[in-house]
Amino acid sequence: MSWYEQYRSRYARLKQAGKPFFPYAVFKDMVVVSLILAALCWLAYFAGAGLEDLADPTDSTYNPRPEWYFLFLFQALKFFPGRLEPVAAVVVPGVSVLLLLLVPLLDRGPLRHPLDRPFWTGLGLASLAAFGHLTWSGYHSPLINPTVEKDPLISRGIRLYREMRCAYCHKINKKGGNIGPELDRSAGSGSEEWLAKHLRDPQSVTPNSAMPKLNLLDDEIQALVAYMKSLGEPFTAEAPKLFTQNCASCHRIGETGGEAGHDLSLIGSARDKAFIKRYIGDPSKTNPDSSMPGFKGQLTEVQIEDLSRYLAGLGR
Amino acid sequence: MIAWVHERTGLDRVWKALFERHVPEARGPAAWLYTLGSASLFVFLVQALTGALLAMSYAPTPDHAYDSVRYITGQVALGGFIRGLHHWGASFMVVLAVLHMLRVYFMGAYKYPREITWMTGVCLLLLVMGFSFTGDLLPWDQKAYWATAVGTNIAGQTPVIGGVVSRVLKGGSEMGAATLTRFYAFHVLVLPALLAMVVLVHLFLVVWHGISELPERRLQDGDPQGP
Ligand code: HEM
Repeated sequence: MSWYEQYRSRYARLKQAGKPFFPYAVFKDMVVVSLILAALCWLAYFAGAGLEDLADPTDSTYNPRPEWYFLFLFQALKFFPGRLEPVAAVVVPGVSVLLLLLVPLLDRGPLRHPLDRPFWTGLGLASLAAFGHLTWSGYHSPLINPTVEKDPLISRGIRLYREMRCAYCHKINKKGGNIGPELDRSAGSGSEEWLAKHLRDPQSVTPNSAMPKLNLLDDEIQALVAYMKSLGEPFTAEAPKLFTQNCASCHRIGETGGEAGHDLSLIGSARDKAFIKRYIGDPSKTNPDSSMPGFKGQLTEVQIEDLSRYLAGLGR
Repeated sequence: MIAWVHERTGLDRVWKALFERHVPEARGPAAWLYTLGSASLFVFLVQALTGALLAMSYAPTPDHAYDSVRYITGQVALGGFIRGLHHWGASFMVVLAVLHMLRVYFMGAYKYPREITWMTGVCLLLLVMGFSFTGDLLPWDQKAYWATAVGTNIAGQTPVIGGVVSRVLKGGSEMGAATLTRFYAFHVLVLPALLAMVVLVHLFLVVWHGISELPERRLQDGDPQGP
């Protein structure tokens, strides 16, 4: 006789000898439900639900904090920088859910007591511990969120750049053609007006330009200009030195630097210049828990700008 | 009169099957862990009720969503309280469903014959998360917008199908009016319908198989009752 039948007959006996659902179980349910209702009302009345400012899709410096029960996922993302990010963001959660779904097919046999299933009990406890740890450290670390979308205008510019096949002539990040200038070297230094004019009609500002007139719409020009401006602006040779002198005791770029602060090797992929500049000036304004000192006053405005341009270009 | 209704509806037999059915007796404090499923169900009902009330004054367009939420909080009688209930209820729902799952997990209550009950439970958990994700956007404030931007980006990173997933979620390639309307439709039409259906299947299976008994240690050699 397989254990299935044994279980069925044992369960039938236990059920027979058990108690009627009402009121035996219903009573306990009611007690718990009342407590929960009371807690809910208390929270709804005294804490309520917050409402921040109206959504502003152009404010790419906003730092979203996910609901606390998703914090662990965001924290986990930090362990998989750059190209591995999809692994943490999608593959690991996907596999975990699949595993969860299949638990009853993997853990079979009649033993049910947690102490009789050390592997599964251990796995459960380990997952709980990992979840707790990640949530805790996510809660206490500043939000450097590598997946924050940049200004949607910039994203649109990136897409246009691709659709219009600009890379046929231009290079960005060493990829593309040789006919036009390398855009991440030169475009950032042009003013927005100049860039807009150039995109509308290249020959109007650069008479012998080989670039064709693209007949772009105004908002397309705006998006492309935003993208060009985001490519980074030239910084001086002093910027890396400033970093070494002021920041490297706590922060790392590549292999060199301290451990107390975040690794900034890829900071440009997560933050734009405006954010970095504000942060260097006074970290506590952006992240009240930060233990980093502010550099406003310590460094000149020009130096902070220089440093920010340098950092904003890292990892892009 | 009552007999007349019973004869035509079978309500008395439904009552018998649901409430007078026996459950194995669970002794000790662990018995209280068996209330977590009902507690999840209760909070789901609270969410349905408060959600319906909120929907009466909410406008799912980028131009009006934020103002309608402010209107609910400031102007509608008890609006702030109802919004608070729905907001905290969402967190409670996740917590209770997870605690309930942990009870089932550590007690091994997913074993024969309750495997499919467990699988429907996992679907419920995913649906609850879907509620949370889609509901987050609806106030259309900074937090709503940017948290969703991050979320849809994460979904967009899925190997191979990422682009499609993120497009379906956003209703296009950009986040905007289509995203809000779409999330609203998911939040108040698609997900509730799915959740209600899966909850019914889940509860049917729970009643069908009967609530599991408290797990006991395996009998050791030398125990009085023998192995
Ligand atoms: C919306 C969320 C859920 C609701 C409303 C719900 C409701 C219930 C209720 C009322 C019970 C009766 C026993 C009890 O209360 O402990 C139950 C049992 C059960 N639930 Fe859920 N549940 C939900 C989510 C889940 C999840 C996330 C899982 C697991 C992944 C799950 C797996 C089970 C299993 C296996 C049983 C049978 C346990 C036994 O017989 O001891 N449920 N559920």
